[in-house]
Amino acid sequence: MKSWHRYAIALVGGLTVGLGAAWAFTNGGLSNGAIANGPWTTSLGFGTKATDPVTRALVARAGLLALPAKETVYWSATTDAAGAPLDGKCRYRLSGKPLDARWWSVTIYDAKGYLVANPADIWSVNGANVALDAKGEWGVTIAPTKPADGAWLPGTRDQPFHLTLRMYNPGTAFRADPAKAVLPQIVKEGC
Amino acid sequence: MRNWLGPLLFGLLVAAAATWAAIGAIPYGLMKIASDRLGQSGVNTMSHGNLANPDRQPVVRPSPDLAYSSCPYDLSAGPLAIDVMPVPGRYSSLSVFDAATDVIFVRNDVEAAGKPFRIILAREGQAVPAGVEVVRTNHDRGIALIRLLLKDPKEIGGLDAMRRQSSCATVTKLK
Repeated sequence: MKSWHRYAIALVGGLTVGLGAAWAFTNGGLSNGAIANGPWTTSLGFGTKATDPVTRALVARAGLLALPAKETVYWSATTDAAGAPLDGKCRYRLSGKPLDARWWSVTIYDAKGYLVANPADIWSVNGANVALDAKGEWGVTIAPTKPADGAWLPGTRDQPFHLTLRMYNPGTAFRADPAKAVLPQIVKEGC
Repeated sequence: MRNWLGPLLFGLLVAAAATWAAIGAIPYGLMKIASDRLGQSGVNTMSHGNLANPDRQPVVRPSPDLAYSSCPYDLSAGPLAIDVMPVPGRYSSLSVFDAATDVIFVRNDVEAAGKPFRIILAREGQAVPAGVEVVRTNHDRGIALIRLLLKDPKEIGGLDAMRRQSSCATVTKLK
């Protein structure tokens, strides 16, 4: 084998490894955030010029056109309260108190961040369409089939899912310490 | 085996350089794809998209609660005027992203006091009309995006005419 053959092989190998590494480094999704709160994670650096090149590429892949934290905080959950991955075949109780924001919503996506077809054409719950109980709490059931009573957020059936919690114009108390804010609970009820 | 020492080091250097270059290029590439997908009406024109659903997801993690209007822009022919018409009592915001995906401007309806507003987006050094609010950028391309909150997807029918009053266009007259 001639010397330039070895360099040519090294060039192709290096490019392949390099491009693969770039894709792997930026594959963390929004859950690669710097702040954790129960199963939810976020980074307050999204959408600003201060973010480093890796974070910018991460956001471009997982949440292109995301707003900065003053405008919107995006939380991501890929597991339930017990730390188990969210499974479209299972039934979960998503519940909480109204959040400290002008408006909020929780949207269900597949693991790649896209909406999945369901018979009800519902992919989110938000502060305007949840009902509060006597304790001032709201709750919905995430499940592949509609529950006998209560609000339903259709699950993704045979595939894992991710939840994104958006808080538009979060309050000053929330922004002072997002890690300690009271966020919605995600509790598995059965499969 | 010693013959491979040089090529191996060379390959490692190539891998490191390719990693760095690709990470830097990913935002630009994805922004280009998003501009192409969002700009059904073309560049420097506001497209008022249909609500996101499984069959229409021009970007990753689209919010089904928001009506998006988007203006993919190119400032090479001159500055861009963006006019925004807030909808009373609704969260709405204009955000402007450059080709590197950085946010260079955000204003919501509360900050705009619920009133219509205009900004001029221009490259450094580009001449702009006098007496207008100017946002400067060092990229030609990017996307201006208007988000309008819907309490229910059915509301879009009643709000569509108002959101269509928001627009963007290249500035052709400086006076």
